[in-house]
Amino acid sequence: MKRLLCFLLTCLSSSLYAQMKAEDVKTFTLKNGMKFLVIEDNSIPNANMYLFYKVGSRNEHPGITGLSHFFEHMMFNGAKKFGPKMFDRTMEFNGGANNAYTTQNVTVYTNWFPVTAMETIFDLEADRISSLSIDPKMVESERGVVLSERSTGLENSPWNLLGDAVNATAFQEHPYHWTVIGYETDIKNWTKEDLEEYFRTYYAPNNAVVVISGNVKLDEVKRMAQKYLEPIPAQKQPNVVHLVEPPQIGERRILVQKEVATPYILIGYHTPDTKSKDFYALDILNSVLTSGNTSRLYSALVDKKQLATSVFSDFSESFDPNLFQIYGIAAKGVKESDLENAIYMEIEKIKKEGITSQELQKVKNQKLMEFYNKIETINGKSNNIGTYELFFGDYKKMFNAPAEYEKVSTEDVKKVVNEYFKKSNRTVGILKANVEE
Amino acid sequence: MSKTIKYILSATILILVSGDMSFSQAQSGSFKVPVYEKFSLPNGLIVYLMEQHEVPTISVSAIIPAGAIYNGQKSGLASITATALQFGTKSYTKAKIESELDFIGARINTYASKESASLTAKFASKDQDIVLPIIKEVLADPVFDAAEFEKEKKRSLATLDRIKESPRSVLGFYWDHFLYGDHVYGYSSSGSPASVAKFSVSDLKTFYKINYSPAGSALAVVGDFESKSMKDKLSKIFSKWEKSVEPQKNLAGEPIATIKTGRVLLINKEDARETTLLIGGPGIRRDNPDFVAIEVVNTVLGGRFTSWLNDELRVNSGLTYGANSYFSPLKNAGTFSVSTFTATKTTEPTIDKALQVLNRLHAKGIDEETLTSAKNYVKGQFPPDFETATQLAGLLTEMFWYGFDESFINNFQNNVDGLTSAKAKDIILKYFPDKNLQLVLIGKASEIKRIAEKYGPVTVKEIKADGY
Repeated sequence: MKRLLCFLLTCLSSSLYAQMKAEDVKTFTLKNGMKFLVIEDNSIPNANMYLFYKVGSRNEHPGITGLSHFFEHMMFNGAKKFGPKMFDRTMEFNGGANNAYTTQNVTVYTNWFPVTAMETIFDLEADRISSLSIDPKMVESERGVVLSERSTGLENSPWNLLGDAVNATAFQEHPYHWTVIGYETDIKNWTKEDLEEYFRTYYAPNNAVVVISGNVKLDEVKRMAQKYLEPIPAQKQPNVVHLVEPPQIGERRILVQKEVATPYILIGYHTPDTKSKDFYALDILNSVLTSGNTSRLYSALVDKKQLATSVFSDFSESFDPNLFQIYGIAAKGVKESDLENAIYMEIEKIKKEGITSQELQKVKNQKLMEFYNKIETINGKSNNIGTYELFFGDYKKMFNAPAEYEKVSTEDVKKVVNEYFKKSNRTVGILKANVEE
Repeated sequence: MSKTIKYILSATILILVSGDMSFSQAQSGSFKVPVYEKFSLPNGLIVYLMEQHEVPTISVSAIIPAGAIYNGQKSGLASITATALQFGTKSYTKAKIESELDFIGARINTYASKESASLTAKFASKDQDIVLPIIKEVLADPVFDAAEFEKEKKRSLATLDRIKESPRSVLGFYWDHFLYGDHVYGYSSSGSPASVAKFSVSDLKTFYKINYSPAGSALAVVGDFESKSMKDKLSKIFSKWEKSVEPQKNLAGEPIATIKTGRVLLINKEDARETTLLIGGPGIRRDNPDFVAIEVVNTVLGGRFTSWLNDELRVNSGLTYGANSYFSPLKNAGTFSVSTFTATKTTEPTIDKALQVLNRLHAKGIDEETLTSAKNYVKGQFPPDFETATQLAGLLTEMFWYGFDESFINNFQNNVDGLTSAKAKDIILKYFPDKNLQLVLIGKASEIKRIAEKYGPVTVKEIKADGY
């Protein structure tokens, strides 16, 4: 799955500070280490609860690849008080809905409900966190569901296949090597014991952050958290992921076959993790390259040279150093090598000449609009505040981000391009119909 | 990777037009549309204004009767015309529009769907005097630059080839053509490569001249502004949009041929590893008086995670990642579909189980507890659909387009509550097809054709063949 993109804010104006401040986020931590972030917002009679667990496919190893994601599914399949099917049935009966997602880094459970149902939601969450039961019959049918999820992703998007191949090539030692959904043979192979072990290790209150936004009152949230979640004992901290991807020392290339009309290209450059000092400059570069029709790559490749029909890029939050990715689809009759070289030409231009101050200001303006989009809904608030808390280490950084973006100069952007966008640091994936030529 | 594919489960929400709106109102049990103003300009344009001050932005939604139903024989013309509105106007080149908007982080989108064309925009309140004049020119004064059109045509042809690589992206186009036949509702908004390849810029200009007119269109502006000055501003800017004098020919009211037998359309995709499918039949018009009740019943059948379809096909049997059902209502007709996908080898049990669930709805009806649950669910989930200025602007243009007013929203909760199990029984009988079912399957024909024949006479098409 694509990691959720939330670039967020730059230059927040003073009026924005007036609308939402760091102080509007109330926090408390239960005795078992479970941290809560609460935003009171009465714009609609609803609320949400986002539970971020610090476990994703980076915590797996060959043999159990995909287990984090599979576990995400199993969390809906029955616990002590609410047996199989009862989690969803109870929630929906009370007007609530839910979903969940798993990435390389985290597993996130999302509940959306009329605020009158909040106590039920606490009851449901406490039950599955404290006493999940792993029913072998449910494990078997859920394997089918996940195999279908895996297959339908591959069936409907060439990017899945190509993205998997590029990650597997760019990462040779670090767990980002395998896919979030896992290997088909692992999905068919893991055991009830594997699941139980995973649950004990990672589904501990001290390994989670809970964010609640909506028409709630802090005191009520605290009362329910203490009643339902505080009794769940803490566990010892899971082992840290010790694997570090060694520096790449030469360009890597990978070719993938699929029946497509024109070639797809994906270029990934190793870049540092989210807490790196270069994060903001790289994030600005991301927008300079592909945000809007006046962006560097769209303007050159899609509009002027007509080598591609679409181009986009991705630089997401990550616990460990990950890839800055550039995606393009070749126009009809265009050789993928011509498209690839045209991408490099644009990158080389920035290496030599940097970006203009006009471009930098444009991106800062765009970041502000992106920020408004994110805080406009209670779901946006919960997801983004949780993301900052986990990936930047402190939700308050979301409110400092404007200053961080403001500090970035055109020189900084030029510097990061020169540092990371080197031939030896890149992995190039091509997906096309004819791979025999 | 997510627990469920959200877009599938939200398909019903798109047509479940319902409203929020404030806590105090919610507490009293009656949801109300926030205060808005509606007025018309001398040229016939209907304008809606609603103030929302949570963030300092403005959202615009415009709707124009210029959808694919006006294509005639030129499949895809409405779509490419809508896109090309932004390829330069009387006072702005395409490059100028893009540089002005990108610099301030503003976005304008123009696109056509089956019945209508739309413009949506979002920008910072402080930039309204930059963006509103651009919106006006995009709608009223496009020049359809020929060079830009040729580039778009190439991109569009490549996209049309590419979307057939994803069964999920094109299944609905086959479905509509199969169910509506030669009626204009059978026209896909995307168009076919053979048709698009023949377009010239004059086709767009003609289409524009006939179909884009302020009379028959509406503009909703929602966000952080003061209504009085916004009204003056919009009146001044948009009064200059001249009415079209060309007559528009709307064929959507023509009768649709009745389908008298069960039929199967099988689209062969040689490299398919799964079968992507729809099962269903005729549905409802958007102005159906039982609209809300139908949605509640559909919630039980296939409108949420614990729906009977998802429960049987996913939770009980692990045959698929998701199964759901939805109505797709238009002004004059609609369809109903059950939607799912499964590995090629499990195509038969998947279809059989889906049919069993549909039969069970008819044979056994809905028990009291499940009905209560569905009502709670529908009521509980709708406020977030109308939380943002963009959502509210969309609601206002939808009200205009389908001819309903705020009473639909404001009475929504009562209408949900008023659904008894006796009435639910009638709703099932009247609106949920169970005979002469239509099936559209995209998959590997050599492996599933024999299975498909179980369900009716089979027509096979190649996915690579032009159009739908």
